[in-house]
Formats: sequence, C-alpha cells, structure tokens
Amino acid sequence: MSDDIKVDKVFDLKGLPCPMPVVKVSKGIKEVEIGQVIEAQSTDPGSLTDFPAWARTSGNEILKTEQDDDVIKFYIKRKA
Amino acid sequence: MMDQKTRDDLLKLFQSKLNEAMRLYLETCTRCGVCTEACHVHASMGQVKYIAAYRAEIVRRLYKKYFKGRGKIWPSVGEAKALSEMALEELYEAAYSCTGCRRCMVYCPFGIDTQMLMSIAKLLLVGAEMEPEILTLLADTSIEKGKSIDLFKDSFMEGIKRLEAEVVSKWKLEAGETAIPVDVEGADLLYVALAGAHSIIPAAAIFNAAKENWTLSFFEAVNFGAFVGDPAKTKLILDRIVNEAKRLKVKEVCICECGTAYRVMKQLTGKQPFKVSSITEVHARYIREGRIKLDKTRVNGAVTYHDPCQIARNAGVIDEPRYILQHLTEDYRELTDEPRYNWCCGGGGGLVAMGEDTLDFRMKSASVKVDQVNTTGAKILATACENCHAQLGNLNTHYEMGVDVRFLSSMIADALIQSF
Repeated sequence: MSDDIKVDKVFDLKGLPCPMPVVKVSKGIKEVEIGQVIEAQSTDPGSLTDFPAWARTSGNEILKTEQDDDVIKFYIKRKA
Repeated sequence: MMDQKTRDDLLKLFQSKLNEAMRLYLETCTRCGVCTEACHVHASMGQVKYIAAYRAEIVRRLYKKYFKGRGKIWPSVGEAKALSEMALEELYEAAYSCTGCRRCMVYCPFGIDTQMLMSIAKLLLVGAEMEPEILTLLADTSIEKGKSIDLFKDSFMEGIKRLEAEVVSKWKLEAGETAIPVDVEGADLLYVALAGAHSIIPAAAIFNAAKENWTLSFFEAVNFGAFVGDPAKTKLILDRIVNEAKRLKVKEVCICECGTAYRVMKQLTGKQPFKVSSITEVHARYIREGRIKLDKTRVNGAVTYHDPCQIARNAGVIDEPRYILQHLTEDYRELTDEPRYNWCCGGGGGLVAMGEDTLDFRMKSASVKVDQVNTTGAKILATACENCHAQLGNLNTHYEMGVDVRFLSSMIADALIQSF
C-alpha cells in the first residue's frame, strides 16, 4: 500500500490476463463511493496501457502507479 | 413506451444492415428445423428460445413489420411485430445467448447466417443504449489507446521490457538481437498481439527462433467493437492496425491467437498491400520450411485440439493446427470426425469478456463441449484462441475435467529445439 494514499478497497487481480483486470476493476470500482480510492494489483504488463486508457474513457483518475518485479499497483480514485 | 423518434432512429440502423445477403437470410427460412440440434446452447439446455431459427425469427418479425408490405398492411397475417422495449429485451436475450459460432449455418440447407442476423439485434441494442456496458467500455478503452499513441507509448515500452527476459529464456538470442522489436519500418511481418504477456512471450520466442524479420504492433488485436456489434467502433479499431501496417510497409500482418481478431482482420479489411495470417498458419509454415524444429518429448499425455469457431469453421484454418500437432505429439485425438461441425466452446460473441455476469450461462450452455472433450480421454486440451482458452479453463474448473488447457503457441515455444 502506498504511504501517502488512503486506500478504501484492494482488488487482487494478479494472474489475470488482459482485459480481465480492466473488466473486474470497471465493475468493482462501483463498490466504493465517488471520491474514494481503490488499489488494483495486476501482474499483466498490458495493464500499464489498459488502465490509463480505461481511466480516461470511464472518467476515473489514476493517482499513482507503482511497480516492483512482480506486481503493478494502480491507485485509482472513483470520479464517475 | 418507446417514442416515435427512438423507433425511427433504430429502424434507420436496421435499414443500414439490409444488404442483399441479409435480405436473403431474412426471407429464406422454411422452418425445417435442421438447425435445432446444431446450437450448443439448445443441445446443452434444451429450450426453444435457443434454437437458431427462433433467434432469427425475433429479428425477422421486426423486418416483416417495417420492411415488408404485408407486415405493414396486415401485421397479424405477416407475423410482424412492433419494435418496443419488450422487443429489445428479446433481441438482447437472442443476441447475447448466441456466440456467433455459425454451427447452425453449416447445417442450414440455405446457409442462413444467424450471426449476421444477430448483428442486427446487437446494432439495435447499441442504438438503444441497451448493449452490455462492459463491451462498449472495452471498445472505447481500445479506441482511446489508439487515439494517442504518444500518451501510452512509454508505458507500452515499459510493459514490453518486463517481458524480454522471459522471451530469451525460451529462445536464446545472439549479441545485438532484440527480443521484442517494436516499430520497425520495413519489417516483413507485423505481429498483432493481445495486451497480455501470454500472447507476446511465446510468439516472440518462436519468431526469433525462425529468424523472422518481425515487429510487434502497438495495438492489441482483439476487436471489442465487433463483440458489441458496433460497425463504427469495429472499423476504428481495425483501421489502427491497417494504418500501422501501411506505415511500417510490412508484407504480412499476423494475428495472435484470438478468433474474432483474425476473422475481422481477414474478412473486413478489403484489399490491402499486405496479407493477413493467423499465427497458427505462420507457425505451420515455419515447421514446413524447416525454420523451427520441435521436440515431441516435451509434451506428456494425449492431446486434443479445440478448433476456435472464428478461426476454423468461419475462416478455414483447419489443417494447420493438425500439422503442428503432428510435430508436437505422437498421441493426438480428434474431438470430431469433421472439424467444421465441432461444438463451440460457449465463450464467443463477447460472453467471456462479460466475465462473471455470463459465467453461469456459459457453464450450462457448453455441457456438450465438456462431453466431447471427456470422450477423447486426452489430458491436454489445446486451442488457439483467447476466448476459447478462457472459457475452456472455466469449464475445466467447473466440471472438474482434469485437463491441462494450453495455447498451441505456448506448446510450440516450450518444445523449441535450440540447436539443429
């Protein structure tokens, strides 16, 4: 979890191939209120382009992206 | 209640689909019933609403009401039906319980294409904003990525960098060679993958092993516009790849293991200065030309192969996967005597991309597929389509089939002989 962002819900999407991470987050983000933040954890490198494009399309905001050797974490604020 | 303007707008969409072939499909059915047992959904679940002719009839009644004289003047005799909210709900049920596999079409004595008729249903649903939201979102996401390459280029390249070590682990490179070339003008072959690692790593290793002069596309192959039945979005998604292929002056566009992506690219792009191939065709060619050699001992257990409907029945790639499998195993078992009549996996038409919303239906509607696989006694179930792979994986878990569901390209990459 990022130190400077309060996360309201975590989505473990590790091991899922694209586009399933986007499919699940698109549905899952509706489980939090507008203004709240979700953390989406993916292992698929395709997420690096899929998530920003999805955020632009759906009107949500990626606050931060973190990567280590195995996992890519997106911190996404629900805005729509 | 549907207002007149909405109805008029939807009927304009309907009209836009009425070419000669479509009119023939709408006017030819004699209700002979041959298609009844052809649909995997009806064969598995046994309800009248899943018979191909019934699905078609839902569209046909609207056609009779608004585009045929008898339906306009005397609708009760013409079996015509008004376009209403209820009619749209019926269209949804028909369109999104059909995977577009076209098995019914090969049984139909007139070759009526149910998938084409369902494309009318899908277009009307798009017009009424009643289509599955997730499919439109995925199509829009795909278009967004294509609109602004510069915006996503860095993250795309970052993602590719993460895959290089794994590509090299499958096929060692000589000094100076690039594991995953991108944006190479003058490359012979443009490989259009899916966004996922599994679609890029094995393919890259095999291209490198075959010494192919290749380059990876910035764009993903899958066409969510086609899944949702939106012709404008289908074309936008398609054009990005066509334009990239022209810009890079490639001779061949090779589509990854994705049935819809291949069929759409092969059949909807028209005449282009490049040829379109499925990756399975390319791999078969490499083996035939002696550019790659495979070690049969790497595959353990009997293998069967599920022909993806959009690649085999609907695009004719039937012999190539079998030729490849001859070089991968001594124990290959067919699912059916005639691959054109193979059962659909139950995941096409956008159903897999709709995720858990369709899971229960997908499991129930594909029990005939499970029986077909189980009968072979095979331990490895190979296929060459992302949708099929995901659906077969779900079936494997749900029905405890005990098979290993594999991508054909992944089996090839794992069997590459490094020196020969």
